[in-house]
Amino acid sequence: MFTLVIGGAASGKSEYAESLLLGAPGPRYYLATMEPMEDAECRARIEKHRRQRAGKGFVTIERGVDLAGLALPARGDVLLEDLGNLAANELYSPAGSGPAGALGAVVEGVRHLRAECRGLVVVSNEIFAGGRDYAPGTETYLRLLADAHRALAALADNVCEVACGLPIYYKGAKP
Amino acid sequence: MTLITGPLWSGKRDAACRLLGCTRAELAAHAVWDVQELAAACQDPAGLEALADRLAEGYEIVILTEEGGGVVPADPAQRAAREKAGRLACLLAARAGCVVRVFCGLPLVLKGECKL
Repeated sequence: MFTLVIGGAASGKSEYAESLLLGAPGPRYYLATMEPMEDAECRARIEKHRRQRAGKGFVTIERGVDLAGLALPARGDVLLEDLGNLAANELYSPAGSGPAGALGAVVEGVRHLRAECRGLVVVSNEIFAGGRDYAPGTETYLRLLADAHRALAALADNVCEVACGLPIYYKGAKP
Repeated sequence: MTLITGPLWSGKRDAACRLLGCTRAELAAHAVWDVQELAAACQDPAGLEALADRLAEGYEIVILTEEGGGVVPADPAQRAAREKAGRLACLLAARAGCVVRVFCGLPLVLKGECKL
């Protein structure tokens, strides 16, 4: 079962996504894709997410690129957070696939992950309703994430947008 | 007229093709897209109404990209354009028999009925 959870900043999407796996028998893996920047806001955000997950039984795996090469310690359920960071890493990070390979790396990586686990929840960011007047280069990233969203939405069993912590299902239903 | 809206690159034109049963090459004969960009040239509310009338009468499908979701632009012209684009969306939705929002390629019917 693969559920794609998309929402704006601070929409409650992470907590909603976590809630989808709390009934799973385990093991439960939290796949963290952010390559942290050395600033206080970033560290504080990571701490907030750690506190939010504490006691929910997630084992954290950090992986910024190349999900297709990831082997899980055991078959279980996975919460991937988030696709926006994964796409940025594949596009910009020295270890990533670069502009030509990023879309394939993201989509095939998620496809691989889905085959490796029982239940998969992927969290991503809604950033496409604010116009397109960005710095040069940003459009490449927007386009990549939009293409990844459509490709993964087609693969997913369930797709929802979260607003104010509440899900709107465009495909399937709450798993 | 059917209004198809949604965020950038969400699959709106593909949804229009599915609705019409046509190819992307044939779409221009039935539909118009990026109409949010036409709103900026309207001088007043009556101009926006006239644009909405013209689009609603001229096309089977009108496609508009949502752009009101980000921070309010500091530039006054951009701010005015974004405001008009949002108003145009409302005027078109009022004239449409069916309104569809496309999200990640997935359509959600907001008004009326259409076979997607």
